[in-house]
Amino acid sequence: MIKLLKIEAKKILTYKIFWILIGLYFIFLSAGISMAEFMINNMVDSTNRHLPIPIPHVAIYFFPWVWQNIAFFASIRYVLIFPAMVIIILITNEFTFKTIRQNVINGMSKAEFLASKLQLILLISLAITFLLSIGTLILGLSNTSDISFGLVLEKSSFIFGFFVTILSFQIFALFFGFLLRNTGLSIALFTLYVFIVEPILYYFLKSPIVFKNDISTYLPVNSILRITEYPAIPVLKQVMGLNLQDSVSFLACCIPLFYSALMVGIVYWVLLKRDL
Amino acid sequence: METILSVNNISKRYGKIQAVNDLSLEVKKGQVFGILGPNGSGKTTTLSTILELIRANKGDFQWFGEEPSKESRKRIGSVIESPNFFPYLSPAINLKIVADIKDHDYGDIDRVLILTGLYERRNSRFKTFSFGMKQRLAVASALLGNPDVLILDEPTNGLDPQGIAHIRELILSIASQGTTIILASHLLDEVQKICSHVAVLDKGKKLFDGKVSEVLAISDSFELSSHDLEGLKKVVAQHPAFQSITPSSDQILVYFKDEVKAEELNQFFFLKGIILSHLSERKRSLEQHFLELLDDNK
Repeated sequence: MIKLLKIEAKKILTYKIFWILIGLYFIFLSAGISMAEFMINNMVDSTNRHLPIPIPHVAIYFFPWVWQNIAFFASIRYVLIFPAMVIIILITNEFTFKTIRQNVINGMSKAEFLASKLQLILLISLAITFLLSIGTLILGLSNTSDISFGLVLEKSSFIFGFFVTILSFQIFALFFGFLLRNTGLSIALFTLYVFIVEPILYYFLKSPIVFKNDISTYLPVNSILRITEYPAIPVLKQVMGLNLQDSVSFLACCIPLFYSALMVGIVYWVLLKRDL
Repeated sequence: METILSVNNISKRYGKIQAVNDLSLEVKKGQVFGILGPNGSGKTTTLSTILELIRANKGDFQWFGEEPSKESRKRIGSVIESPNFFPYLSPAINLKIVADIKDHDYGDIDRVLILTGLYERRNSRFKTFSFGMKQRLAVASALLGNPDVLILDEPTNGLDPQGIAHIRELILSIASQGTTIILASHLLDEVQKICSHVAVLDKGKKLFDGKVSEVLAISDSFELSSHDLEGLKKVVAQHPAFQSITPSSDQILVYFKDEVKAEELNQFFFLKGIILSHLSERKRSLEQHFLELLDDNK
């Protein structure tokens, strides 16, 4: 495991595009997080003009809700696309530069090659989840007045849900990269699927006219993004008793993990079958 | 002698094209084995198969007497087609990746960079290299950790005359240390200069294989002359290996069925009372042999 990660580290440490895309992910994420509260309160202000009793300003980054909200913003497809692009580029590069051939010639098995990319995905997912946890803790601690240990940890399951999200989304990207092998084509088709094809399928499948039961939950990208489906707006819960999502469900995590396992299996089979 | 590689009846088809057709080879330890053939004769497909980049439709092969595995590939250094490295990494880091895969330490990297004349450029990025330098880095990477076998596919392709001479010297010096080398080339001259053994391929079929020195030693014709040209013509027909004769005004060209030595022939004529004024062995070059073989195959 260490050996393959050592090799992957050499491939990415001085690779500018890798750091630029990871940097962009955090920039977009931070921008989203800092704007969200402001925008919600803007909406509150404009609604208040028509109301006799004004709604109080909303705070969304205090414990325990901060976990759910950060996980929600970090799981938006416009943000997740950056680490996914990193994975597509790193995998298709190996085909463009023919370094996958050279690695196999030098004594790496195809299984090891796939394992090295999966380990890299695991490492990136863990690193991003870790950084996000630190950020969430800081944000939560500075916005919560009455802190207790139990309160801080209460909704922390959302960060595990986020880990499953970013892990499976990158594995979905790996699937495109390995099957298509061409950087431009993989990015184009991946983006097309994530932003256009699946949203269309989603509305089609969700409509009760087509299917009696809502099977849109089982769409690959939708299943990934649904792990943290809604942000937590505490005021809604407190004032109106409305609760959209309370916790991360185990079942919701199982669907994307099942897809991930299936895709890794297909990639492995194709890799063994196809000439390099 | 220890068998390094045995290839047994491999065939590979790409759609309608039969790239390799029922090919068998045997490479023994210490040989410099040339795979010679025109472009598209199946050389690279053969090498890609034995390195497990592609799967043969039929047949199998063994490395070091064992079923092929990643462990056997770690004992082989290879240059196949174009040099494949990460363009944004320096040669030093690219070679560290190779060393990691082969379970070697980094101690040998400086040596192979010096050997291929790239040491001064070890920290420049690969994409800034000229084609010749890229090719030399591929050779450096193949030499890393003193492999038991070196596989070279057109190693001097695209190099300038100086580069060609340098790489050939390098190959010969490595061969002299006992490393087994498998070299694919479409250049007869290259195979003739470097190899001890050769297999000739055309359209994926092996036409011929054997020692390069034996191929060159086939002396199937002699130029002969004597003051008694008529007597010479009569006597030569009595030679047990005589096949045919092509006379000209002042000499004759004689073909023999079997191998005949010049001194033997000289003695034969002397005993028959013919004094030769000219005796010259016409060595059939590898090139002639190669073209003949290709013709026979048509």
